[in-house]
Amino acid sequence: MTVDATSAVCNLGLLDSLSQHPGSVTEISHAWNAFCISTESVVSNCTSTNPDPSNFVSQVRILRNHGLQSLLQHHFLTTIQELFEKNSVSKFWQHFDAYTNVIDTDLIHEDEVQQVLHTALEEITLEKQNQERCLAMLTHALQFGKETTSEGSQKSDTDRVYLSSKYQLIVSSTLMTTLPRHFPQILHWYFKGRLEELNTSLDGEYQGLDRSQDEEDMDLDNKNKFLHEKSDTGSDKSYQGKSLENSKLVKNIGKVVHDLRSLGFTSLAEDAYASAIFMLLKAKVNEFAGDDYRSSVLDAIKGWIQAVPLQFLHALLAYLGDTLSNGRHSSILKSPLASHSNSLYPGSDAPSEGIVRWQLRLEYFAYETLQDLRIAKLFEIIVDYPDSSAAIEDLKQCLEYTGQHSKLVDSFISALRYRLLTAVGEPIREYLRGRKDTIKCIVTMLTDGTSGPGSVGDSLLEEINRDEENLDGAGLDDEISTDDKQAWIDAERWEPDPVEADPLKSSRSRRKIDILGMIVSIIGSKDQLVNEYRVMLAEKLLNKTDYDIDSEIRTLELLKIHFGESSMQKCEIMLNDLIDSKRTNTNVKATIKQKMQSGIDSRETDVPMDVFDATIISSNFWPPIQEEALNIPGTVDNLLTDYATRFNEIKTPRKLLWKKNLGTVKLELQFEDRELQFTVTPIHASIIMQFQEQTSWTSKDLAAAIGVPVDVLNRRVSFWISKGILAESFGTDSSDHVFTLVDGMIDNGKTGISSGNCEELAADEDGDRSVASVEDQLRKEMTVYEKFITGMLTNFGSMALDRIHNTLKMFCIADPTYDKSLQQLQSFLSGLVAEEKLELRDGMYLLKK
Amino acid sequence: MATINNQDNNNNRQINNVASSKQPLQTVKSVDTQSVLKRLQSELMSLMMSGDPGISAFPEEDNIFCWKGTITGSKDTVFEGTEYKLSLSFPTDYPFKPPKVKFETGCFHPNVDIYGTICLDILQDKWSSAYDVRTILISIQSLLGEPNTSSPLNAQAAALWENQEDYRKMVEKLYKPAA
Repeated sequence: MTVDATSAVCNLGLLDSLSQHPGSVTEISHAWNAFCISTESVVSNCTSTNPDPSNFVSQVRILRNHGLQSLLQHHFLTTIQELFEKNSVSKFWQHFDAYTNVIDTDLIHEDEVQQVLHTALEEITLEKQNQERCLAMLTHALQFGKETTSEGSQKSDTDRVYLSSKYQLIVSSTLMTTLPRHFPQILHWYFKGRLEELNTSLDGEYQGLDRSQDEEDMDLDNKNKFLHEKSDTGSDKSYQGKSLENSKLVKNIGKVVHDLRSLGFTSLAEDAYASAIFMLLKAKVNEFAGDDYRSSVLDAIKGWIQAVPLQFLHALLAYLGDTLSNGRHSSILKSPLASHSNSLYPGSDAPSEGIVRWQLRLEYFAYETLQDLRIAKLFEIIVDYPDSSAAIEDLKQCLEYTGQHSKLVDSFISALRYRLLTAVGEPIREYLRGRKDTIKCIVTMLTDGTSGPGSVGDSLLEEINRDEENLDGAGLDDEISTDDKQAWIDAERWEPDPVEADPLKSSRSRRKIDILGMIVSIIGSKDQLVNEYRVMLAEKLLNKTDYDIDSEIRTLELLKIHFGESSMQKCEIMLNDLIDSKRTNTNVKATIKQKMQSGIDSRETDVPMDVFDATIISSNFWPPIQEEALNIPGTVDNLLTDYATRFNEIKTPRKLLWKKNLGTVKLELQFEDRELQFTVTPIHASIIMQFQEQTSWTSKDLAAAIGVPVDVLNRRVSFWISKGILAESFGTDSSDHVFTLVDGMIDNGKTGISSGNCEELAADEDGDRSVASVEDQLRKEMTVYEKFITGMLTNFGSMALDRIHNTLKMFCIADPTYDKSLQQLQSFLSGLVAEEKLELRDGMYLLKK
Repeated sequence: MATINNQDNNNNRQINNVASSKQPLQTVKSVDTQSVLKRLQSELMSLMMSGDPGISAFPEEDNIFCWKGTITGSKDTVFEGTEYKLSLSFPTDYPFKPPKVKFETGCFHPNVDIYGTICLDILQDKWSSAYDVRTILISIQSLLGEPNTSSPLNAQAAALWENQEDYRKMVEKLYKPAA
């Protein structure tokens, strides 16, 4: 009954035959018991000579003849597996227990690792070979008495293949399921150590071939050392011929790889030596390339790849190919690499497909590594040009190969940005300092998060913000405060530190650029920056029509972190003024509502109080406010007086002092055929309101009515002319203009443009600033200094620069305090000399008579 | 005709009540140096900013109690075109006591002696804390053109004052401008 054991139909047939021959059941049961016992003894004693092979063979045959072949095979394999698990596996892993918790590679003694691995592998391989011998015995028993027929031999071959594949599966799955986590690391260490050793010897040869005469001595030393080392380990003399295939080292590695494969660790082994090769290659590229841009290193690297890793792989594959052809037992576990190696004939020069593939991989990796290195240093390379043209040529070749041009562009952009910001050269700093609008631009970028023409990332505010976030992140590194998304983004952004990085500094602290600190260092003092910010803030706050200052508060908080609380104190008071204003405003209006309810409300004004909001400022803490006399319309003036009275009632003894020229007015002009809305300054509103009573005004009369100088009026009235609301004509006197209200549709195209509902903001004209600009303040300061200088020179005759400087420091201490540097004073004095107000004679300044 | 509805947002300033700085004249002795310094400081500032022609003064490099002054002779007087240096020395209880003012440049004047001492009522018994450096200098400048010949320190000058032409010659002859 030579049936296929797995067929259910045949099993049924087997049951039939059993019922017909009851005697055979007894026979089977006897034979089975005997088989179990002898299996036990065969498997456990397979090291020694089999005690009773003939018994075993006969038992197997009986069971087989009863069609129980699969059962007995299964039992045999299970027994083997149990034994393997019990003895070999745990023993194997025990070898590596010492490395369970080793994290620091430095603590690993590589020779020890090598020794341990060798021993462990040898042991388990021996065990495995013994078990395979047992399997062979079973195969032999199953074959017994059948070899005569051709069918039988074929069958026995199937059995053999089946059993050994089953066994192989058992071995690898058992090992894999018990694999300790540190084993791949151990393999990595092993291959790293071996490769470095190999590199030392091969590199010596490679360089010996390559280098010039004068270095030969050293190389010889290297080689001698290597040879000496080899002979110590008892290597065969044939190594002297430098034939790598015979090198004991490669053989050892090859054996380890082979053993690992036979245990089912094919990919594990391959990963380990591949990563070791790549690590070595990377280190080599760094070593070759370094910071020297004057010579091309690409050929040297390629040469090295040929000389060391490819030689090694060649030898390794050749060795494995040899063993594979000798020991067919592991052929079912061939890795893709191994299958290529079959085509490799030792000693043949034709590279196998596997080697070619490896070469491509290694070269690509080398190109990429070199390219990254060069890209990172592109700025220096450009600085060194033309000396660095070799490095540029290398980079060009690398990029042709890798195609990662965008990497270069991105990196170079950020390099430029970094350099321009951090290492701003002295001439540029000087230039920036000299420009009047530098501080203003910086502050605009600060206050106006989106002002930059570029992306949002260009905004200085964002930049500072990001710094802050980084700082926050640094503080809470291990907490779960950042959400998952942010964590993911951070993880994606992470990059390893460059090789030459100082390991003592964390990358964060090294990369963090204090942008504000740098800007301050360019400008010279943070006070100027803060002052400019204060002016801009004042302007912004005064032009607000609501009390919404959230974004200003945010910016201020950021600046407080950078400049310190005390520097930003005035700004904080300004913001508090706005908050207080909102509250006071509500309170004042509440008093009106009360009066209205009690019926005392007198409707003498036609402008209701509730359209009016006041901003109450502590002017001591604000920048100088532009004063401009202005007669505002009577109704509005009454409203202001009323408001001030109510304020005084609430806040006695405080009184309001109006700055009537400041603020914004929303107004609506109603014509017969249209309505126009504007948001303008009070003076614009006052001008247009005059036309409510009288449609035509001469500039002199209008200026008098509003209470402003004629030139101011002319400038302001141009706004209404540009909107097509007023028309200008020359009056009888050439210096006197006549402004007439343009009514209806009789006007030219201008009216058409502005017809309908349009809201215009008439701010941002130069003359419309509420707060004296920093330049104005500076000019004012300088005027004071000039008077002091004139004063001291009048009384002391002539003075040297530093005496003037000291005297100003001493006596010019009221507002504005003298806070200039000696250099600033010098340039100011030079200006006065140029204006012929002063004279400089022998280093002494004196008044020009 | 247009009707104008307007809504006004105006800004104002609150008055900070300045604490009254009136001080009784009796506390003269106990005035601390700090307030004297402040006073002189602000006098310097207002003098610098006033820009009055022909008068000037400035503290010496390290001592705000010692000033150097400069007065030029007013136009249409015999002192036109001349420039006189003065020294002003402020007492520690200034402004309750007047400063000591002397001519450093020799000045041929009925009310100035050869040591430069000036005879001027506001620098003696008519002194008031309402005066300051600026008013002192203006007074001295006008004293040049309008001397008090009734009680002269320099009798020769007082006698010569009648003859303005000769006086002018005398002034020119004796005038030694500062280096």
